[in-house]
Amino acid sequence: MKACIISDGEYQTETFQNLNRTIAGYFAEKGFETVKMQVEIGDLAFCKGCFNCWVKKPGECVIGDDISRINRTAMNSDVVLLLCPVVFGQFSANMKSVVDRWLPNMLPFFKTRPDGSTMHPPRYDDYPKQIMIGFADDLSAEDMVLFSDITKKHRTNVDVLFWMDSESDTRRELDAIRLERAGGQL
Amino acid sequence: MSERIKEIVLISASPKVEKEEPLSAYLASLEERRFKSDEFHVSNVNVRQCVMKNQTEEAFRTMLATDAMIITFPLYFFCLPGLLMRFLQDYDQYRVRQGNVTKNARVFAVVNCGFPEPEINEDAVRVIKSFSRRIGAEFRFGVLIGGGGMILGAKDAPFMKKVMEQITDAFDLMREDVLGNGETPLGNRYVSVRFPRKLYFFMGNYGWMSMARQNGLQKKDLYLKPYRDRN
Ligand SMILES: Cc1cc2nc3c(=O)[nH]c(=O)nc-3n(C[C@H](O)[C@H](O)[C@H](O)COP(=O)(O)O)c2cc1C
Repeated sequence: MKACIISDGEYQTETFQNLNRTIAGYFAEKGFETVKMQVEIGDLAFCKGCFNCWVKKPGECVIGDDISRINRTAMNSDVVLLLCPVVFGQFSANMKSVVDRWLPNMLPFFKTRPDGSTMHPPRYDDYPKQIMIGFADDLSAEDMVLFSDITKKHRTNVDVLFWMDSESDTRRELDAIRLERAGGQL
Repeated sequence: MSERIKEIVLISASPKVEKEEPLSAYLASLEERRFKSDEFHVSNVNVRQCVMKNQTEEAFRTMLATDAMIITFPLYFFCLPGLLMRFLQDYDQYRVRQGNVTKNARVFAVVNCGFPEPEINEDAVRVIKSFSRRIGAEFRFGVLIGGGGMILGAKDAPFMKKVMEQITDAFDLMREDVLGNGETPLGNRYVSVRFPRKLYFFMGNYGWMSMARQNGLQKKDLYLKPYRDRN
């Protein structure tokens, strides 16, 4: 089993270190082979909304930077963890570039979900389990709710946790998640 | 009674660089038209340009001293694009380095998305509200626009007249709010293109296909799975 852990080099706070240590320890104990990828400022170009990952080189970002390695590693893992600094209630800039540039992994077409909302269908038959763990030194209740809404409301196969400075709580929350790949609905 | 001229910054934040004009840039030009008068001094910030050229400082200085800012951007994965987060995160740090100076600026958001439902922009507007709280500014309201993919192409068509009016009315409301130092809370404005959903999807899907064909691809190529080692 493979776990891919993606983090933001701009937020090397003590809070982050504690979370990072907990996650690395947890997945090592479960016998996962883990790959860590830390995104620093300037490592990734911003998605420029060209949609060439849909209509020119389907499934691949046309910007030749590290995103191809990140996406390939993530797509071939069983679990992907995004350790997300929560800024203004959403993903920090570096993490958001990772998220924006996930676009190639979906298909361009418009579909209606059972609840009437719109989505793009999945490109692959199955996907890694995605776990997003929000953290911040001064996380307000309002920003936590907002982060959950942004990440969960529109996606299935994503679990969202918050690091509340408690290793045992986070371990318990991870224990409740099925740590394996799942079929396509994004 | 003559009040001093109000400062307003129009922050246009589409990440697009291709030749095609971003809808956000067009919306910012409409905002400018509604605000240009003797009562306002309008500054324009093109986020893509100033981040890429490392020229954010001048924009940040303008933002610190402004009476109001309008942040106009596309929805990316149900929140702000990475580029705009970089800009706002850096602005927040700049503001702190400058000693936290804030003038009680008013903040407005104008968000457009590709799906037809304008409500999906709500969380992005809440992010701008959270940002406003963080910098000590006052968030007023957002304009949430659905069906962004067809607005530029269809904006002059008769069936779009109402939609375009709703947009400019919302900008006029911002103008009145800034001028009158409005205090009553104002709700978000929702703008949806009046167009059959099925047809919008059909045109969108057709559009992807024809772009792919122009790139020498066939329909089946759109379904490639390059990042999966075994699938
Ligand atoms: C990476 C990426 C993510 C996007 N995510 C969404 C989304 O979650 N919902 C949506 O309706 N449109 C989404 N869009 C579509 C844009 O919001 C839409 O194309 C918009 O009209 C672009 O505005 P602009 O021309 O001002 O850049 C996304 C586009 C890109 C490139």
